[in-house]
Amino acid sequence: MSDQPARTNVGVGRVLILVYAVFALSATGRSLVQLIEKADEAPLAYGLSAFAAVVYIAATFCLAKPGPRTTPIAWIACTVELVGVLVVGALSIAEPSWFPDATVWSDFGSGYGYVPAVLPFLGLAWLFHTTRGERISGTPTPP
Amino acid sequence: MIDPLQTLLIVLSLVIAALATVYVVLDRPTGTLLLGSLGMLEGGLLVQAVIGIGQLAQGDGEGVNGLVFVGYLLGTLVFVPAAAWWALGERSRAGTAALIVVGLVVPVLILRLQQIWTAPGV
Repeated sequence: MSDQPARTNVGVGRVLILVYAVFALSATGRSLVQLIEKADEAPLAYGLSAFAAVVYIAATFCLAKPGPRTTPIAWIACTVELVGVLVVGALSIAEPSWFPDATVWSDFGSGYGYVPAVLPFLGLAWLFHTTRGERISGTPTPP
Repeated sequence: MIDPLQTLLIVLSLVIAALATVYVVLDRPTGTLLLGSLGMLEGGLLVQAVIGIGQLAQGDGEGVNGLVFVGYLLGTLVFVPAAAWWALGERSRAGTAALIVVGLVVPVLILRLQQIWTAPGV
């Protein structure tokens, strides 16, 4: 039974993973377009876009397929995402010249209705909720 | 681009979101009404993609970023069935709640498409 350390892909997780998938898709799309069309114009912003895309893809996949190896990665991805949106959000306001073109995390994700700023909190809360439930009950509830 | 169809698709998506919300509140399983609406939406998105790519190929979109435009057209087309499959993979309240997300994301994608078409460079 311990091959499913956290049941992150059921219930509310279903909705959360879909939102993560939307961001994985849009961050990947944005990053690809930026890298294909104008990679050398703003290396920092475009590098960050690509990095954000990888983080979202990892979070989506690892939340959707919980396991002894994937769930820790989901924790890391959501934490990196939280740090990323806070640091990039703050820097994009303090030093706008560093970010001539927007990333998903610029201005705390204002271009995406601030969802990128809220999402990591929800992701971490959900991971915390599912792993804690597991430790208390010992056995996972059947699907 | 193709305003009447796109407006219709936005309304249809919002109806799907509203319908899914009602189902979640009443805690009822998804029925043919919701699935049929999703099918209609996907059909409409297919028409939108065909017309959009056609218009672009004819050189209608002056200065439109073709890569982004086609990316959005095809991305939206793939998103709806993929998300619906994921949402309906769990026949539960949460599964239906995921359909609300689908209904809310599609209008945003269509609005972005219109932005890309009418205001090149955005």
